[in-house]
Amino acid sequence: MTIKKIQILTLVLFIFSIFTFPQEKPDGLEIITKVYNRPAGDDQSANLTMTLIDSRGNKRVREIKQFLKDDKDIEKKIMFFVAPADVRNTSFMSWSYTKEGKSDDQWIYLPALKRVKRISSDSKSDYFMGSDFTYDDLGDRQPSADNHKFIRMEKLDNEECYVIESTPKEEEYMYSRTLTWIIKDKWIGKKKEFYDEDGELLKILKVEKYEKINGYWIILHSEMKNRQKKHSTKMSLKNVKINTGIQERQFTERMMKRGI
Amino acid sequence: MSRFLKKLTNYKWAALFLIFAISFAFFMIMKSNTRMETDLDKYMPEQHPAFVYSNMAEEWFNIKDGIIIAIENRNGIYNPGTIKKIKDITKALQKMKEIEKDDVTSLYTADNIIGTEEGMDVRPFFKKLPKDEEAVKKIQQNVRNNEMIFERLVSNDEKVTVIIAEIGDDSFSQEFYHRILKMAEGFEGPEKLYVAGRPIVEGTMAYLGPRDMKRMVPIVILVIVIVLLLLLRSFKAMILTMLVVLFSTIWTFGLMAAVKIPIYAVSTMIPIMLIAIGVADAIHLYSHLHLYMKEHPLASKKEATLDMIRGMYKPVVMTSITTAVGFISLITSQVYPIKYFGMFTAFGVIMAMVLSLVLIPAGLMAFGIPNWKKKSKKEAAAAEKQLSFRFSRWVTKYKYLTIILTIVIIVVSLLGIGKVWINSSFLEKFEKDSSIVITDRFINKHFGGTSSLNIILDSTEGDAFKNPDILNLMDKLQNDVEKLKIVGNSFSLADYLKRMNKVMHADREEYNTIPDSKNLNAQYLLLYEMSGDPENLWKVVNYNYRKANLLIQLKSDNSKAINSAIDIIKKYIPEFKKLNVNLNYAGSGYKGLIFTDLILQGQILSLLLSLLIVIILLSIMFKKITAGIIGSIPIIITATISFGIMGIFNIPLSTTTALLSSIAVGIGIDYAVHFIERYKIYAGETGDKIMTGQYTMLHSGRAIVFNALVVIAGFLVLLFSAFPPNRALGALVSLNMFTSFVGTISIMYLMLYMSNIYFKKDKN
Repeated sequence: MTIKKIQILTLVLFIFSIFTFPQEKPDGLEIITKVYNRPAGDDQSANLTMTLIDSRGNKRVREIKQFLKDDKDIEKKIMFFVAPADVRNTSFMSWSYTKEGKSDDQWIYLPALKRVKRISSDSKSDYFMGSDFTYDDLGDRQPSADNHKFIRMEKLDNEECYVIESTPKEEEYMYSRTLTWIIKDKWIGKKKEFYDEDGELLKILKVEKYEKINGYWIILHSEMKNRQKKHSTKMSLKNVKINTGIQERQFTERMMKRGI
Repeated sequence: MSRFLKKLTNYKWAALFLIFAISFAFFMIMKSNTRMETDLDKYMPEQHPAFVYSNMAEEWFNIKDGIIIAIENRNGIYNPGTIKKIKDITKALQKMKEIEKDDVTSLYTADNIIGTEEGMDVRPFFKKLPKDEEAVKKIQQNVRNNEMIFERLVSNDEKVTVIIAEIGDDSFSQEFYHRILKMAEGFEGPEKLYVAGRPIVEGTMAYLGPRDMKRMVPIVILVIVIVLLLLLRSFKAMILTMLVVLFSTIWTFGLMAAVKIPIYAVSTMIPIMLIAIGVADAIHLYSHLHLYMKEHPLASKKEATLDMIRGMYKPVVMTSITTAVGFISLITSQVYPIKYFGMFTAFGVIMAMVLSLVLIPAGLMAFGIPNWKKKSKKEAAAAEKQLSFRFSRWVTKYKYLTIILTIVIIVVSLLGIGKVWINSSFLEKFEKDSSIVITDRFINKHFGGTSSLNIILDSTEGDAFKNPDILNLMDKLQNDVEKLKIVGNSFSLADYLKRMNKVMHADREEYNTIPDSKNLNAQYLLLYEMSGDPENLWKVVNYNYRKANLLIQLKSDNSKAINSAIDIIKKYIPEFKKLNVNLNYAGSGYKGLIFTDLILQGQILSLLLSLLIVIILLSIMFKKITAGIIGSIPIIITATISFGIMGIFNIPLSTTTALLSSIAVGIGIDYAVHFIERYKIYAGETGDKIMTGQYTMLHSGRAIVFNALVVIAGFLVLLFSAFPPNRALGALVSLNMFTSFVGTISIMYLMLYMSNIYFKKDKN
């Protein structure tokens, strides 16, 4: 073999590897960003049923009517409690900003007090309405907040999934790492494991049901189990309507007071 | 039976070999199978309704005992160093496998419910360590403004802060106890650290008690050996007596190990019981032998041994059976360790009897009769005779004085009994100046209290604890009970709602009340769940708001303190009932109270039962009811004086001291049986009341004095124990021996004398 031939062979191998390597070792950040940016329509209305189950199997069911509007910069959300009766018409509104570093604005209206109050949300690690979901878990966490690493491909419930490991960039985040199973080509997180500060398994999120509504993939049933507290939360959406043209003015303090 | 025992003397070596072989076997079983039970929960009668309920409630609300670590900085806790320590210790505790993360409460983990201009927020006091003075000041200000935290986690003078780590009963171990103390030690300087709380008190007790016993028992044995040597004046006799006690203890613990029953704290008293009772048989046997040898200096060892068996086997068997009955009556107790204690001590007593009747004769046959002749001087024997004769004369001569004295003592004791109180306190078992008591006092001075009582409110309706009427009543109860000096603090769902109502109204004090709308309460609670960690709520209310847990912090764990709080709480039961709410109690403090009550009730019941059985047994043995009644006099006097002294000297009844009444019966009855048996024999032999009294006093009285001296000397050693309950034990056992002995030779003898029992009516 002449030197030249070796050079050519090396070059061929090099070019070959450029084309094949990305396919075998996909980029974690890219996958997570695709999930984060998966289109879900400009607006949405739905009935949310949140079932909280404690370690003894006691259940508490909350029924909520929710409206969502998403433009590029702000995601606005308003929720009205329908049941239980003693909190009926309590409403909760949040504006979350796409811009990094700007924290959410949140308001609550207590009908018995007849007043809208602002609640601050310094921490995205707060639990959402006593459930096992934090605000971050509900999809608010920016992909850039973590380092992502592709681990392997794995089949889960007959779906080909990427398994991505994410570790936070910040110190003292509530999770030391998470593992996410992401359905190939649908960009839906199918399952997620959360590990606490000490590296112990804390929670498991499973998406039980998702559907294509108006051309968008919408998660309908999911369940979060806290393995340490033996507490779990089920979220299910019904009557999901996408892109019905909900107006900007639906998301004001005045509307919060009006109720459903 | 006596024939069997006599025959046995021909097979002395076989008997000795057999006893040693059995002892060795039991020793091996004991060595490999013995297990110590340190989990105090295992001591509790699990089926008792109060325990069943408390255990259920503990699960509903995750009620556990808290280990309290107090951090004191003389210059105030608000500086970056101390704040860092709070965080570090919190994290260190959370990392321990025995402690669940959520069960650690400190300034680092606590929720701060604060009012903002526009609303309310729940956030930690700090998450990252404060970098500058200003950040520290902010924490300080936040704590001052929060009445749910100020004076609960931080002391009024801001020099002390506490970290509370709740821990399940089953995860506490000796190893963990030492590990946590060591961990705290590692954080010392410049701050001073204190570790307290019920688990620590229990741990210290479980550690100190047996350790102290281990140190004291050899000294007790040594003293008994010396006194036995002095009294029996024979090395051989002392050795055989000690072997009886030692082997009966080994057999008892061997059996316990064989049937896989663990050693409980009370079981550690079994050897002591067996020492006190086991030496008695031997002393009586040797006493008889000694007298026989004096009267028949030329008798062979076989003749002497046979006479000893003939003369003594009956009272030895009788005393052992009656003593065993006293202990067996403890199986009526609802408390398993005490049941087992009774059963195994009874077994040990019977084994001590068997060994006394087999080992001592076999030993005498094998190694010869102790060589008393040379050493015992004629004058001494004469003096002894003179003393016992004179004493018996005195008793009958000054009979009214004896009776009046007895009555006075009984009356004084009865007055004392009225003052006896039960104490379930663990803390008061320690020395007043021990570090654990000092720590406890320190924390109680700065905070709500190291002991707690849980009030469990249980409604038939869901969402009951959003109802303002019920919440207001809870608040009223809290205010009322907090007026007690002993109550430092109380905490319930009402405190959360008051705090939130105030905060939602721009921190105005007039809103520090329960809202009168059920819906508003519900909405506040929803808001709390949305902003804070709802996990904290589930410690005061259950998931569907049907049950609530009201915590009362006490500065003392003694029964008087808990009962004074309960007296106030009781008054609220009808009012809660009107609102369809039931009130119950839970928590380890309350269980301790019930537990002590149970022990005491059981103790009194079994004392009365054993008294009855003993009277019946004595009546059968001596074939006369009068004998049974007279024989029970020393026991009744001993028990009365024992309890009376406790009342007069303010010694509370506790698990240890309550069991002492069994000793009173067990030993008091021995003296009576020996005395009456001798009295009966001499009455038959002489037919003369005065002579009978004199010779009984010489023969039995001597043995009784010896026995009392040995045991009193041995147990007085316990007065030098470092552990107060062991001291009380020593003092009371000695006292019981003394009163039994005096009661037997004085008033009981007088009663025998006056009743004319065993003498024909027409006396010459």
